[in-house]
Amino acid sequence: MPPEARGAPLAEVTRAYQFSAAHRMHNPAFSAAENARLYGRCNHPTGHGHTYRLAVTVRGPISPDTGWVLRAEELDALVGQHVLARFDRANLDQLIRPADGVTSTTEVLAGVLWRLLDGALPAGLLWRLRIEETPNNFFEVNRPLLQRAADPPDRPGPAAGTQKASRP
Amino acid sequence: MIQLTKRVEFCAAHRYANPRWSAEENARVFGRCVNLHGHNYVLEVTVQGEPAPETGMVIDLKALKDLILETVNSRFDHKNLSGDVPELADTNPTPENLAVLIWELLAPALQGCRLARIRLHEDGSTYVDYAGERRAAPSAAGAGHAA
Repeated sequence: MPPEARGAPLAEVTRAYQFSAAHRMHNPAFSAAENARLYGRCNHPTGHGHTYRLAVTVRGPISPDTGWVLRAEELDALVGQHVLARFDRANLDQLIRPADGVTSTTEVLAGVLWRLLDGALPAGLLWRLRIEETPNNFFEVNRPLLQRAADPPDRPGPAAGTQKASRP
Repeated sequence: MIQLTKRVEFCAAHRYANPRWSAEENARVFGRCVNLHGHNYVLEVTVQGEPAPETGMVIDLKALKDLILETVNSRFDHKNLSGDVPELADTNPTPENLAVLIWELLAPALQGCRLARIRLHEDGSTYVDYAGERRAAPSAAGAGHAA
């Protein structure tokens, strides 16, 4: 069977970046004592910082013209513009909106970076983000996880949609 | 079900070119990669299976290493991927295409377990994963993955 009759192979390409940022974990809804108990030294009043390492994975068909899923320079430019230019040498607490989450945990940061990069890349191409806060703490968000969260198995699926709509 | 990964390294030269394009077009799209250059590739081969009751092994790691050396390193290590590898004669030697070729060479050669993933690092900041998946063929319209 000629290769073109089988359809383009689907590959994942991952590129690694890093940025240095300050933050302080603090939920203004809690008392000072409660924040100190909850977040410990990460609640230090004047903040602290990390060299975050970010691995961005795109997934798609390999172009028969270039042999690439996406031009590396194009990904670098988008990550540079939407993430590094904003988050490198910055204070995360000034960049994270209340709608993103209560405070600048790396879980919340992962959601923010996903929103920014998913909006900047061609639709559906972003597959996974992995963020290392330190070499010992890393966080991952990926499209299958997000899809599962948006459509948990106990919720009616598309097939059951009409049933749901017909309910009073 | 266990996944097991063997890691090997190979060093090779390559240059990027699409023979259907002019020199100018190749230079515009591929930039400095049109020049012959090279990488220290790191290959991670992940296989999946049940440990055999007699040995406790999914696959003999020495046998897996020998298979990778015979199949992959003998073709690629200290070679020029733009000319020395017959399987790449019509293929731009990007890490994406190398991962697909490595999958297609190794998958049929494994016995007792199946190939789960090829991860190919071109350098410390870029790697490609391939797990044998293909977009639905053009004739099967509508069944493809979103891209």
